[in-house]
Amino acid sequence: MAHGSGGKATTELISSIFARYFDNPILAKMEDAAVVPGAARLAVTTDSFVVTPLFFAGGDIGKLAVCGTVNDLAMSGATPMYLTCGFILEEGVEVADLERIVFSMAETAKVAGVLIVAGDTKVIEGKGGLYINTAGVGFLPEGDFEVSSSFCGDGDVILLSGTLGDHHATVLSARMGIENTIKSDCAPLHGMVSALLKENIRVRAMRDVTRGGLATVLHEFAVASGKCLQIQEDQIPVTAQVQGLCGILGLDPLYMANEGKMVAVVAKEDAPRALECIRNSPYGQDAAIIGEVVSGDEGTLLLHTRTGGIRMLTELYGEGLPRIC
Amino acid sequence: MKDYRNFLKEYDGPPIRIMEVCGTHTASIAHSGIVSLISSKIQLISGPGCPVCVTVTEYIDRLITLSLTPDMVVVTFGDMIRVSGSRQSLQDVRSEGGQVRMVYSPLDMISLALAEPGKTFVFAAIGFETTTAVYAALMDGIVHAGIANIRILTSLKTMPRVIEWVCSMQGGIDGFLAPGHVSVITGSDLFVPLAEKYHVPFAVAGFEGEQILIALYALVKMISHGEGKVMNLYPSAVTAGGNKTAQRMIETYFEPCDAAWRGMGIIPDSGMMLRSEYLKYDAGSRDLFSDHSHHPACLCAKVITGAQKPQECPLFGTLCTPDKPQGACMVSTEGSCYSYFANRRNA
Amino acid sequence: MPGKVISVHGRIAVVDFAGNRMNAEAGLVAVKPGDSVLVHAGCILQVLPEEEANILADLFAELEDL
Repeated sequence: MAHGSGGKATTELISSIFARYFDNPILAKMEDAAVVPGAARLAVTTDSFVVTPLFFAGGDIGKLAVCGTVNDLAMSGATPMYLTCGFILEEGVEVADLERIVFSMAETAKVAGVLIVAGDTKVIEGKGGLYINTAGVGFLPEGDFEVSSSFCGDGDVILLSGTLGDHHATVLSARMGIENTIKSDCAPLHGMVSALLKENIRVRAMRDVTRGGLATVLHEFAVASGKCLQIQEDQIPVTAQVQGLCGILGLDPLYMANEGKMVAVVAKEDAPRALECIRNSPYGQDAAIIGEVVSGDEGTLLLHTRTGGIRMLTELYGEGLPRIC
Repeated sequence: MKDYRNFLKEYDGPPIRIMEVCGTHTASIAHSGIVSLISSKIQLISGPGCPVCVTVTEYIDRLITLSLTPDMVVVTFGDMIRVSGSRQSLQDVRSEGGQVRMVYSPLDMISLALAEPGKTFVFAAIGFETTTAVYAALMDGIVHAGIANIRILTSLKTMPRVIEWVCSMQGGIDGFLAPGHVSVITGSDLFVPLAEKYHVPFAVAGFEGEQILIALYALVKMISHGEGKVMNLYPSAVTAGGNKTAQRMIETYFEPCDAAWRGMGIIPDSGMMLRSEYLKYDAGSRDLFSDHSHHPACLCAKVITGAQKPQECPLFGTLCTPDKPQGACMVSTEGSCYSYFANRRNA
Repeated sequence: MPGKVISVHGRIAVVDFAGNRMNAEAGLVAVKPGDSVLVHAGCILQVLPEEEANILADLFAELEDL
């Protein structure tokens, strides 16, 4: 499996790396299954990660694999507790790269407060590709706390936790050889969510902004709730560099992927406190109020453009390829 | 400055039809929400200004064949990958082993070719006058560096003949938003003979929302006063005569030819291809005229000339969506049907 | 959007777009460092004036006369 690193192709090598970095009492037992304390209501999720390049400014596939699943749990209001992780490695993967990725996962898991309690590895033929699946379990608070995209109601306020498009821009820049200092915003958002809930902010719906971008998430909210969501283009935070890249490649930040941003729809009266809350959380310094929920125009998402016009936004179609001409 | 915004919003004269002939204008108009800012009596129509949209199926089929040829690699802009030829697209053929790569600039070809001298790289050279200037610069680079493993397959189009074709149709276009970047190369004078012959005004516009509004204001004013002339509302980038160096370079490597426009047929003298002395760099571009659009009910041709609206096509939104495009108008993010679908433009 | 020319090496210019640097072909227009330029598909098409002077004022005056 290893390419010129001198390491032996083996499960021994792999498990020694995992054992060293993911070390915790549950994993150390090396049983067939991890037996862990639970809660009355659980949130469960899974996701697979296949990004290339494996390493990029601001993160790597390992950090992504932890944050992605942690964030999915957090967005349902759950406290992320346990992760599993499965690796599929193609022959040719460098042992040093694997070690870096596993180390990164361990560090991110610590920050996110989760334990990696089970794992698996398979090695297959190939050219050095590396793919990770993580499944996660989180504890929901007692009572009947629930968030749902269908709960958006008249007068509710829409908040965005920070700048759009950073992750997508980072990966594209790396692939196309464009030099800039854009970094992936890959980050765990459990702290941000728990801060909101601790403050008793009445959160109707929340979602992390990933593939498909902000427009796709808000469009889903609009359709699920049957309401009209209206957002202001000049309130939406985008860094100058990301905007610049979008100008060159003909991309739209509203449809670009992030890996460390969330959108929350909250009761109007709670909006100022919610904004304060997010801004004081790690990764939330650029948070902004970007719009509101109104009735009429059922199930639509409207953007008030910088030019003063109105643009109806739908979910992302196709892959968002850079435009030509 | 006069309050042009109010003027456009309040316009209550006879209904006006204005055509934009530049894919980037289509995208900017949608992006800025221009339609919501103007009177419903001013109708904006997306014309044949999207190079991806007007490429015939035979051209795509030829690219597919080339991509499956040993030691050949087809290189293209992003949007081209999803357009269907008579049976499949370049994206489809990739999964069958077709060698297709995407780049941001045709000039990236040079480093690709130098890195792999054993392969021949073929660029899918589509575009209007603006991109033709870029291809001319590429040819200049190839010829001067003596690079032997680059070819281009051309489907280059020019503005004047197709605008003339639109004017001579029954579409009833009252004015044209002239393309911004094409005009940078050709100069705004390109449109003067057309304005005079058909007595129809042209306004060269930039791409910011405000610039488009200003150009629309100029057009409505000119139309209302029966003025058939050209106004340049993008003077920071466009001059009357254009970029002479670029024009000379285009002339060095390319010459006019007949061209086929998807769903519209052959328009004489509306295209460009490599001059005979440079044909060794051509990958078989001559007479790629066959057009077998995927679905017989596809109305792309009528939509593109303003004869019908996207939503009037029987396939629109049902069999034809951005995820499963039938005609090229839906494939490209600059296509009229895509723009209408994704932004619900009130055409 | 316009880019800013950082340096020119023969026919290649390094152009900056709000912090994004890329190479662009500089054979169609004479450029020098500091120029604001219009770029299309990796090729510089035009040098833009530094200030958006009130060039449009005359055009508007012309329209008012209609």
